[in-house]
Amino acid sequence: MRFMVLVKANKDSEAGVMPSTEVLTAMGKFNEELVKAGVLLAGEGLHPSSRGARVRCEGLKRTVIDGPFAETKELLAGFWLLQVKSKEEAIEWIKRSPFQEGEIEIRQVFEASDFGDSMTPELLAQEERLRAESEARAKAGR
Amino acid sequence: MRFMLLTIPHGYESAAPGTIPDDVDAVAAMMAYNESMQKAGVLISCDGLHPPSMGARVSFPGRKPKVVDGPFAEAKEVLGGYWIIDVPSRADAIEWAKRCPGSENEVIEIRQIQEIADFPPDVQALTSEFASMQAVKKT
Repeated sequence: MRFMVLVKANKDSEAGVMPSTEVLTAMGKFNEELVKAGVLLAGEGLHPSSRGARVRCEGLKRTVIDGPFAETKELLAGFWLLQVKSKEEAIEWIKRSPFQEGEIEIRQVFEASDFGDSMTPELLAQEERLRAESEARAKAGR
Repeated sequence: MRFMLLTIPHGYESAAPGTIPDDVDAVAAMMAYNESMQKAGVLISCDGLHPPSMGARVSFPGRKPKVVDGPFAEAKEVLGGYWIIDVPSRADAIEWAKRCPGSENEVIEIRQIQEIADFPPDVQALTSEFASMQAVKKT
């Protein structure tokens, strides 16, 4: 099972304050543990929402709103993608994370098999092809 | 530049466990959109997330982990899924988001991913191994 672990924004992350060396060292150590255990698929940090935008969909109309966005504690600051056996295992990993404050959200990722009949064989084949090509691109891009 | 496009579907904060996209036309439209990103060579990865009612949150009051199972009563905006794309500019990322076959209840948030080069030099030294930590395992 794959889980996405969502790290929420706070005043500092939204202000563009970079974490201290101490915090980064602790986080590096935690990432190292995730890698050694073979559970880490991906992880990224995001620039503050002041550098971002939102696109609102209403029918065919698209409205672009520039950041920053007001609901700071609901904004995303970063994420991990973990491959684990259960939600409990994902939770156990995050309990061990070096965060001193804030709230981390754990959400299961949809797999193609979750979609049932909506995922027709044609769509499934397309999905698999897209995934393989994207992974090759992600590897080549680094 | 890498950007994360975050889908924020209004109403998903209270979706029942097991809620799944079941509109064949909508799924087909989304797959066609994914394919257009793929063909343009901008798509790095994308995923959808099960509803928050199947998830959990971990917070650290007094530096001790505390687990709360979903759904999260106070949540107004929750994540439904994401794309990671590699495009030349923020404007390009916004253009891609505008082409998404989004439904009326959806907002797509565009956020730039922090690259190692964005950090100050002393911090960069600490993150030299970070790239090798990413994408180490495939499903």
